Amino acid sequence: MNELPGSILEPSGLFDAIHEGRSFDAVVHEATFDERSILEIEKLRLWYGSSQALFDISMLCPEGKVTALIGPSGCGKSTLLRCVNRMNDLIDTVRIEGQIRLSGQPILDSGTDVIELRKRIGMVFQKPNPFPMSIFENVVYSLRIDGERDRGLLEEVCEESLKGAGLWEEVKDRLESSALALSGGQQQRLCIARAIAAEPEVLLLDEPCSALDPIATGRVEDLIDELKGTYSILMVTHNMQQASRASDYTAFMYLGRLVEFGPTQDLFLQPRLKETEDYVTGRFG
Amino acid sequence: MRRSGNGTGRRKRRLETTKRVRLAERLATGLITAGGFGAVIAITLICAFLLAVALPLFRRAQASEPNEAPVAERAPRRVFPDEYGVLVAVLGQDWNLRVLAVESGQVLEEIEPFAGLSRPTAFSASVDGRSLAFGFEDGSVRTARIGFESSFPIADEVPAELVDVAGGRVVEFGNAIWQRTPEGKLRREALDFELGEPLQLDSASPVQRLSHLDDDGDQTFVVWTRDAGPLFVQAESTMNLFTGESETSLEERVLPYDRESDSAPPAQVLLTGTGREVLIVHGDGRAERIDARDPANATVAEVVDLTPEEGERLTSTTFLVGRSTLITGSDRGVIRAWFDAPREDGATPDGKALVEAHTMRGPNTPVVHLAASPRSRLIVATFGDGTVQAYHVTSESRLLELDATDIGSPFGARILPKEDHVLAFGSAGLKSWEVDFRSPEASFSSFFRPVWYETYPGPQHVWQSEGASDAFETKLGFVPLVYGTIKATFYSMLFGTPLALLAALFTSEFLDRRLRAPIKSSIEMMASLPSVVLGFLAGLVIAPFAQTALPAILAAIVTVPLALLLGAHLWQFLPTERRSAWSGWQRVVAMAAALPVGVLAAAWVGPGLERLFFAGSIELWLGGKGAHSIGAWGLLLLPVSVLLVTLVGGRGYAAFLARRGESWTRGRTARVDLLKLGVGLVATLGVAFGVGGLLEVSGFDPRGSLLDTYDPHNALLVGFVMGFAIIPIIYTLAEDALSSVPEHLRLASLGAGATPWQTAVRVVLPTATSGLFSAVMIGLGRAVGETMIVLMATGNTPIMEINPFSGFRTLSANIAVELPEAVQGSTHYRALFLAALVLFAMTFVLNTCAETVRIRFRKRSSRL
Repeated sequence: MNELPGSILEPSGLFDAIHEGRSFDAVVHEATFDERSILEIEKLRLWYGSSQALFDISMLCPEGKVTALIGPSGCGKSTLLRCVNRMNDLIDTVRIEGQIRLSGQPILDSGTDVIELRKRIGMVFQKPNPFPMSIFENVVYSLRIDGERDRGLLEEVCEESLKGAGLWEEVKDRLESSALALSGGQQQRLCIARAIAAEPEVLLLDEPCSALDPIATGRVEDLIDELKGTYSILMVTHNMQQASRASDYTAFMYLGRLVEFGPTQDLFLQPRLKETEDYVTGRFG
Repeated sequence: MRRSGNGTGRRKRRLETTKRVRLAERLATGLITAGGFGAVIAITLICAFLLAVALPLFRRAQASEPNEAPVAERAPRRVFPDEYGVLVAVLGQDWNLRVLAVESGQVLEEIEPFAGLSRPTAFSASVDGRSLAFGFEDGSVRTARIGFESSFPIADEVPAELVDVAGGRVVEFGNAIWQRTPEGKLRREALDFELGEPLQLDSASPVQRLSHLDDDGDQTFVVWTRDAGPLFVQAESTMNLFTGESETSLEERVLPYDRESDSAPPAQVLLTGTGREVLIVHGDGRAERIDARDPANATVAEVVDLTPEEGERLTSTTFLVGRSTLITGSDRGVIRAWFDAPREDGATPDGKALVEAHTMRGPNTPVVHLAASPRSRLIVATFGDGTVQAYHVTSESRLLELDATDIGSPFGARILPKEDHVLAFGSAGLKSWEVDFRSPEASFSSFFRPVWYETYPGPQHVWQSEGASDAFETKLGFVPLVYGTIKATFYSMLFGTPLALLAALFTSEFLDRRLRAPIKSSIEMMASLPSVVLGFLAGLVIAPFAQTALPAILAAIVTVPLALLLGAHLWQFLPTERRSAWSGWQRVVAMAAALPVGVLAAAWVGPGLERLFFAGSIELWLGGKGAHSIGAWGLLLLPVSVLLVTLVGGRGYAAFLARRGESWTRGRTARVDLLKLGVGLVATLGVAFGVGGLLEVSGFDPRGSLLDTYDPHNALLVGFVMGFAIIPIIYTLAEDALSSVPEHLRLASLGAGATPWQTAVRVVLPTATSGLFSAVMIGLGRAVGETMIVLMATGNTPIMEINPFSGFRTLSANIAVELPEAVQGSTHYRALFLAALVLFAMTFVLNTCAETVRIRFRKRSSRL
């Protein structure tokens, strides 16, 4: 196998430790501590039935920034994402230890109002999943379930959210037509509009572009870029380029463990671990 | 090196599909096509079979070429045909009886019944012509019996002279008439005439008009005597036990009549089939109907004009079999059927009125003669121009038109007892036709339009296919059966659909995943319960129970949902941790616990309700006991009231919560919610009973319209049990439809902060609409066609009432009940097949509509 020139790192033996089940400390770049965090994940462990899927994950999500979770399939990126808005509650066999704090408030307690939490944390899924109703109703869904009936307000929110998701120009003349008639990329942006209509504090994107063609992907990535600052974004991606282009911070996960977490630029250009370097350069994975 | 075809080179790639694959493909295609066409053909064949059986109902009656014979008889008083259309006895103007051969017109035998006696002055005959009565100058009456006795003597007994009689020939020999039947047997027919003893009336004045009724030896006469006017005479025979002789005692009553205007004898006196009503018919068409239920105090109930058209004259009358319907013919060729219908306004002392129920118009010439069939409601009318027409009175349809213009001036025509011949008499001869009336009582309007049946107050939809006697009027209205079918379907859907759909929603959206499979399969097990078991349970277990526990059951409709609601509100008081910890089986247990609470509450409240609102017993109250109906109105209006209060109050409450409730703690919200439930309950009851009270005050009583007498085998019971039967089928399909809503939609909704309930209602239900709709429709189809449950749980009374406490009869149950008794090929049998066809058409139309709607729903939610 060809060695990339400039690789000065020695294998840390960390993967061996993971395979052997030994504990180790994730490498977290100091730069992450400087940011104001909106999400704090502390010692998160998760089991599906008897098999453990997440091991002692501790990390922060900086406010107003895009944090990307990368790693090979099955490393627990999506599971971690779903812990944040407690979508894992829907799976009966899940057991979680540890804590996640949203703006300092613990969210994994049994006393947490999950419904309210999910309104504060928007989520966009891998596959575009608009409801089989009109574009307008899709966007204002979160207001509808809150019992909002003021047509003027709904229209205002709809327009704002669609503009925010960069879809307004394309659909403004057919708000009442079915959302299912939109193309895949448009549907995904509609889902983003639907998520931001609720004015969430955090936006979770679970591989938002994996089902889209390159042009639609580009548009969504541009959108993510525009949304950052307004929203704190935590996204899962399989695509290294996407992570490097769209995110500010990147966390590399492997087999349920956080391996390295730092500013995207550092992680991609000057990773501290040989394993991370191998992964981001495509030598592994 | 050039590699061939495929990439790996491991296998040689063929250039053609193998024969085996192609053969299998062709076979499969053929088989599937055959299966599909086979299904379509099977359904078409069933439909064709039903049509083939039912359509002959609408065939026209037929008559053969006539047989004509010259006769020397002048204006016979009455003709008595035999059963076979071979012989006919004629009562001539000279009061002698002559037996004629129909084929040749030859006189075969002559009897002089009054040889040595004075000749009668009046005469009357029963509808079947078997019983006669004669009145005499000296004021006496005699009854007589007449009929052909036929027998088939065995070969040894046949007189030698007759052995050579050829087929079809009729000969007279030894006081009898012999004929070789087409089958080669020799038939002996003898006219049997037996004149009774004279019964001497007290008045001893000449009998001018006579009518009699012979009810197994008890005879009733109405006699018009020259001097005493109309008399009502009852003859009672008593047997002397010592001598063995019977003595007849007469009881005579003078009937009321207006002697001034009725100086001349009337055209006719008529005694109806009950023997308790007399009609005195005058030549101008005026008829006095005399109520003789109490012969000693008979009164003229009413005077009716039997010729309502200006200047019309009455020319002929006859009774239909059963003597309840009088047929009159006029000089305009109009034939009318009259019978007593109930009259509510009290204008007549007996609460009845003689009404013209059916009118048939023949040619515009006088009706010369009318004769009724002895076994059904067929009549033949002979008109002045010589035409003979056969009518079915109930359906008013003209069945046959026969031409008897060539036998001189017409005297009359008669239908033979078997209704297979019509015999017409004219001054120059007689004419006979072999006829087949087929299904005279069947017509589109008799099946689907209201028909005025004997003794009914007006035209109605009635199904009553079989009666005890020949005089019974077959009533073949399908509408009560269709109504019953719809009623059964409605109540079972009312009960079954919400339960099934909500259960499906609950299992697919809220129930713990691990419990889903066992619950679904156990509900599906319900479908394997044979409906006969359900019917048995309904008819023999639930019906008696429901009758005793009716108030509690009615109360349970309110208390059980209320208990659940209350439970849900109390659940809110649990701390959040508890609630989320107990969201699994504990919640199901809590819900299940609400059920017995509701039932107990119902058992406790029910009797009190009954005392308070229903005069101590709902059953008796429904039967008309107890004056006020607030309770019933309240219960009836409750569903509307709940809806109203929920819509109005719920909206206001939501707005109030949104404004004020932001800062409330969970506990406080729960308390306010509970308060809301209480207020809502009070408001609901208040609206229902308030409006009920208003209705009561304004004099509306639901009894007689919405509610009526309680029948333990009623629509509610069927709704309950058949609802139970359709739950599994609706549930399974609905659950499948809901489960097949893509999970990502649910996640999207939950991820947006919607509660599971909001997700279910706003996302899952609309997406699954087409599936839910077809589930309901298939359940509906099952309910429409269900037979065993309605058969066993209803009284099978084909009545049309909204009353949920009365029974009904469905099309399917009707077929099941009556088909075993119906004679194959009879009108009844064919009518039942037509009913099957109607059922088929109903389900077909229903399914087509459902499918159309379903496809529209589907289009709307497609492309997921």
